[in-house]
Amino acid sequence: MSVRSEPADASQAAPDIDENGVDRAQIRAMLARTPEERLRFVEAFVESALEIRELNAPRPVR
Amino acid sequence: MPRARFAEILRLLAENEVEFIVVGMAAGILHGAPVTTVDLDLVHRRTRENVGRLLRVLSDLDATYRHDPRRLRPGESHLIGPGHQLLATTYGDLDCLGTIDEDRGYDELLPLSVEMALGEGRTVRVLTLPALIELKERAGRPKDLAALPVLRATLDETRRQLGRGSRSS
Repeated sequence: MSVRSEPADASQAAPDIDENGVDRAQIRAMLARTPEERLRFVEAFVESALEIRELNAPRPVR
Repeated sequence: MPRARFAEILRLLAENEVEFIVVGMAAGILHGAPVTTVDLDLVHRRTRENVGRLLRVLSDLDATYRHDPRRLRPGESHLIGPGHQLLATTYGDLDCLGTIDEDRGYDELLPLSVEMALGEGRTVRVLTLPALIELKERAGRPKDLAALPVLRATLDETRRQLGRGSRSS
């Protein structure tokens, strides 16, 4: 699954989609970060996704 | 409760001198691929000393088997073997893999890994991007094949940037 939220430092970059549908601008934005920053960026995304999933989880019927 | 603090898990492992290699999509992310994952996969060195260090960190992380309602904890006999230990921890899901890709363990993967700085003098070993791509090509599952275009494009961009760097120096 691709990370859809746009990194802050890529806000100026227009999408640059290659022949396989991969946005090269997203890759360049990730490469501009340090490895730790890359990991923390994904962590924030995953945390948000898990929170939303939890909020929408089926509740047991009482 | 925090559920995806992969950098924190890596920090704890590095601080406690656990020998391991980050594999899977977390390796791709560390190399700059714009992908995501909900677990951290690593291949650990299966010596008694290293497994002991790993167990101490897992205890600090309150690691239990992910799909076991009894909340069983991994022990030395589990981690010394070649199997996959799928764990839930305070900082997110962590898979400790004895071997991957037809019995390749830490020692076999070591030449296919690079050391990566994670700040504050900490380093971790990460599977190289070409090795990760090769692994996913061989695995051939739909989820592996789906990741390949992004991983290949990331490798291509990395090589382009390195090429520009060497031309300018």
